[in-house]
Amino acid sequence: MSYFLLLAVNGLVIGLIFALVASGLTLVFSVLKVVNFGHGSLYMLGGYASYYLITALGLPSLVGVAGAMVALFIFGVIFERLVIAPMYTDKVERKDEYAIIVTFGLTILLSNLGLVVFGPFSKSPPSFMPGALILGPLILPYDRLIAAVVAVVLLVGLTLFLKRTALGQALDAVSQSRESAAVIGIDPRRMYTIAFGLSSALAGGAGALIAPIFALSPSMGDLPAVQAFIIIVLGGMGSVGGSIAGGILLGLVQGLGVGYLPDPNRALAYTQAFGALLLVVTLLIRPTGLFGRSHLRLE
Amino acid sequence: MKGSLRFHLSAAALALAMLPLAAASSLAEDPITIGWVGPLSPPGNYSGGQEMQWAVQLEVDQINKDGGVLGRPLKVIYEDTKGQPAEGGAAAVRLITKDNVSAIVGEFHSSVALAEIEEAHKYGVAWVGADVWADAITAKQYPEVFRVAPANSLIYVKAADWTIEQGYKNIAIVAENTDFGQGGASIVANELKAKNINYTLATIDLNQQDFTPALLRLMSQNPRPDAIQMVIAGQAQYQLVKQACQLGLAPTAQTALIGSSGLLQKEVWEVDGPCAKNLLIVNVAQPKSQWNAATQAFVKDFTARYNRAPTGVALEAHDTLGVVVAAIKKAGSADRAAIIKAIEENTYEGLNATYTFPTDKTPDWAYHQFKDVPFTIIQYTAENQPPEDAAIVYPKKWATTDKVQK
Repeated sequence: MSYFLLLAVNGLVIGLIFALVASGLTLVFSVLKVVNFGHGSLYMLGGYASYYLITALGLPSLVGVAGAMVALFIFGVIFERLVIAPMYTDKVERKDEYAIIVTFGLTILLSNLGLVVFGPFSKSPPSFMPGALILGPLILPYDRLIAAVVAVVLLVGLTLFLKRTALGQALDAVSQSRESAAVIGIDPRRMYTIAFGLSSALAGGAGALIAPIFALSPSMGDLPAVQAFIIIVLGGMGSVGGSIAGGILLGLVQGLGVGYLPDPNRALAYTQAFGALLLVVTLLIRPTGLFGRSHLRLE
Repeated sequence: MKGSLRFHLSAAALALAMLPLAAASSLAEDPITIGWVGPLSPPGNYSGGQEMQWAVQLEVDQINKDGGVLGRPLKVIYEDTKGQPAEGGAAAVRLITKDNVSAIVGEFHSSVALAEIEEAHKYGVAWVGADVWADAITAKQYPEVFRVAPANSLIYVKAADWTIEQGYKNIAIVAENTDFGQGGASIVANELKAKNINYTLATIDLNQQDFTPALLRLMSQNPRPDAIQMVIAGQAQYQLVKQACQLGLAPTAQTALIGSSGLLQKEVWEVDGPCAKNLLIVNVAQPKSQWNAATQAFVKDFTARYNRAPTGVALEAHDTLGVVVAAIKKAGSADRAAIIKAIEENTYEGLNATYTFPTDKTPDWAYHQFKDVPFTIIQYTAENQPPEDAAIVYPKKWATTDKVQK
């Protein structure tokens, strides 16, 4: 039982970080109808932003995380205005292809720029808090515990923002129908900018939270980006709640899968396979994902 | 007018007569071109590749400053293989057919090297491996393929024997899912099995960042491992060290943690902090006490230029180029076949060792494999300790302590 608990708690913590990354990705998909292939690079950028805020400016770790989110929000807003926005005009004919190319371009640009600017050697900001929480059989490093708590706060905050505020409801309205939203006075373009900025901030926050747990490298966003795509399909394309549930479920399944696969030699190497299996089974049972909205289509 | 015409005709004749001399002079200044292959971007181990590239460029600059090779400048063309076999194969073809290189040196990933040597063999071009350990590379016994780095069998049998001598009874082998990792793990496992030592194998994907579930699995074993041998290249080990330490698994008094050369870079202290203390590391480099004058000068120059000390990987990278340059000098030519013949016959004193490449065919990996690879097991005994100041626990001839710190 204690072994199960250890695996489950670790899976839950990692799942919450996955959820944070995926909820940003799903927000952009839901509102802009754009699949952002550059999301993993924003996660990487957030990690480095917090690192430099903490080590160069001497900010406390959690302030560094908040600072990274603000920096990534600004980056996201500027990127959306300069690069994504032309997609909504008549200048761009093949809008879907344009979105794919510019977001792929963002990944390539940031990964290569990361190597040049940040260098090829790993970096890591200081721990949020050294040591581990030990409660009976449970061992949970404080860095993971703090990252999980902050992730929960951010996810709850995001959910409340989307449900309870006028701006959040406006984002939801645009996600359902940009034309209808425009009719009632909501400016879809403003919502696109806000959604992209928020999404970037969430990715950056996840990168900043994970930085003391793992390490920073220019390629650190590659795997989380893949995980995030699995999660948004698993949770249901366009559903923020689905992304949160999907992220947690993926973390749990991967953790428990590695812990209980009969062959210990191959267990860890099959981590991604557990995610793929979960996705296939879910889609067989619910083709729109756990909380998917069937009307959502790429336009 | 007549005189002027005669003058111009004479000048033209003189110019024509001098053309062959001018061409010869131009040829004398044509560079000798060597190809370098290695990872400089993801998903390869680009930190290791970067260190190798820096070491090679430092040596190229020094050679050219000293007058070049056979009176010609030396030029190295760098190809980023990204840790991908397909990229490595394509890079080797480009270097051979487009850049017309005389030889190829470098590489960090065994799987990529295995793709490159097929092309080197096909085109008859010397290929000298810098930090690739899979036995299969030299086991193919291609006449063009040489290796300054150890074969897995040269190192991991000794490393396994050392862990047994230390009295470890339950050993976990954590290996990457590559030719290097699986080959090394299999050698350690066979050695432990032969000596009736319990072992567990765990394979990791290098893209993986969270090793905690697998570490929890090791922790739940009864008895818990008393040593973990990582057969992982590069910085992926940092994550494993940090997570094992945070869980209280290793390195601890109960469980030793043994890694490889990726843990020699100074970033290990930034990422792993106090967790890196007591780490044991298989280090393919001579201890500082054995450095020759050239090694000391190289370490000084490398540190001055790149603001970091070179690890054994940089020394190996330097020596791969040195092996080829020495062969060109011996052959008196940059001809591809002549270089292969000269490497086989030559003895080259490098920074890390004095290299020869035997033609023994038993065991199969011994062909063109440099055998006297300097190899130590070191232990960080204090925080922020540079590897050259770490305690040497193996071999006895170089050991600075007979006790492993727990």
